[in-house]
Amino acid sequence: MSERGILWRIVAGQILLLVLFLGTVEVVVQKGIVGRLYLSAPTQVVQELVKLLQQSETFRNLYVTLLEFTLGFGLSVVLGFGIGLFLVLVSRAEQFFNPFLSALMAIPKVTIVPLLTLWLGIGLVHKVAVVFLFCIFPIIYNTVAGIKQTSENYLKVARVFEATSYQTVTKVILPSAVPSIFAGLRVSAGSGLIGALFGEMLASKEGLGNMLVQSTSLYDTARVFALITVVTVVSILIIAFINLLEKKVFLRWKSS
Amino acid sequence: MAGFSIRHVSKVYGGAVPTVALEDIDLTIHDGEFLCILGPSGCGKSTLLEMLAGLQLPTSGEIVYGDKILQGPDRRLGVVFQDPSLYPWRTVFENVELGLEIRGVKKADRKNTVQKYLTMVGLDGFEHKYPHQLSGGMKQRAGLARALANRPDVLLMDEPFGAVDHLTRLQLQNDLLNIWEAEKKTVVFVTHDVNEAVFLGDRVVLLSPRPGKLKQIFNISHQRPRERGDAGLLKIQNDIYAAIYENKKQAEPEYHL
Repeated sequence: MSERGILWRIVAGQILLLVLFLGTVEVVVQKGIVGRLYLSAPTQVVQELVKLLQQSETFRNLYVTLLEFTLGFGLSVVLGFGIGLFLVLVSRAEQFFNPFLSALMAIPKVTIVPLLTLWLGIGLVHKVAVVFLFCIFPIIYNTVAGIKQTSENYLKVARVFEATSYQTVTKVILPSAVPSIFAGLRVSAGSGLIGALFGEMLASKEGLGNMLVQSTSLYDTARVFALITVVTVVSILIIAFINLLEKKVFLRWKSS
Repeated sequence: MAGFSIRHVSKVYGGAVPTVALEDIDLTIHDGEFLCILGPSGCGKSTLLEMLAGLQLPTSGEIVYGDKILQGPDRRLGVVFQDPSLYPWRTVFENVELGLEIRGVKKADRKNTVQKYLTMVGLDGFEHKYPHQLSGGMKQRAGLARALANRPDVLLMDEPFGAVDHLTRLQLQNDLLNIWEAEKKTVVFVTHDVNEAVFLGDRVVLLSPRPGKLKQIFNISHQRPRERGDAGLLKIQNDIYAAIYENKKQAEPEYHL
């Protein structure tokens, strides 16, 4: 069979599997085999989703979550990148700070979140701090790795042309570290969103995580599934945005 | 007059067991000549070239360029690397203008120079391509243009055609000779290819390996343009092979496992 034919079969199979799965859930819930408290029929979830999208409350909470994420993520990009640069470019800095960084990285971040609540309250600052905590380490790590991977030969070229240290950093080291830095950004974006939601679920007055907890405690299971859908789409969009940025702005040289 | 005077240069790499890469090299490189440094891998020929470029310093001895002892990279010394090491995030044009850009030459003033050398190496029309879109030979051409655009007096070339296919290599050799004649630069060309060395060089310096020592210098006074397969050139080629072979018999008994 042709490659194209095989591809079509795979796609058809995938659709079939999805329809079967959703259909089974629908039937199982509609027939009352599993109670509506535990599971929701896909059609209910869709209805709930439509309802959610008609309420301004949803968008207000979405805005809150995105704001927390953006501030926390932005802060970690700037600081993580700066710290990463500092560690590699200042001689011996990495050697000195490495044990501390490793120890900090090893702490499961979720365990700090309640403490942060104690210190910072349950508002925006708390969430930004949580997102920051979830994001910063992969960014530092990947910045350091990317810079260190700069090919010895690229640096030789710069030396032959008698580039200053500043020129070597801006014209050679940073551009060659871009792919690794973006890999770090993608990882952190995912965990940053988790941080924002987790912080909201633990202690908050607003945000999508807050809505999720409320719906769960009201046993509004369909609404919970609808919210999960919204959050998933947001997560996908964030990663897609970072990919687009990488491709359009920073990696023109690899795109074609 | 600019030229190199290499005086009793040795290079030892440290570490638990120090390795002598080059031992007591004494050599004068004349202004405007095309000098080939020939030797098997491990003879320290790339080390010697990097020292001429100021990228490494001798452990003992000194290299004088012009009238000064070489202490580091110098604007008058251009390098073409074996792996062309073009920056993949820059277009061909941007790669070639790198040296001028680093020196702070204004963008408008860079354009003509860059274009001139792109034309000279035969890369017209490829200005806006990225390195990954070029063939191996074209990458080397871009590497050559990048060195030339900085207007050096000397071109130091480290096995620049080592990684391209044979026919492309012959073409690159011819083009390099044309450029050399047009630009009147001193060229120091490192290679492990006897045929290439003899076809290109005014002189061929043969190094013997472990530690790298100057074995013999061959003068090639044949007129240019030279014919490939010229009987006189073949004769020198055979002499070089003989010198290498004798060397092997003495210094490097084959071990069989």
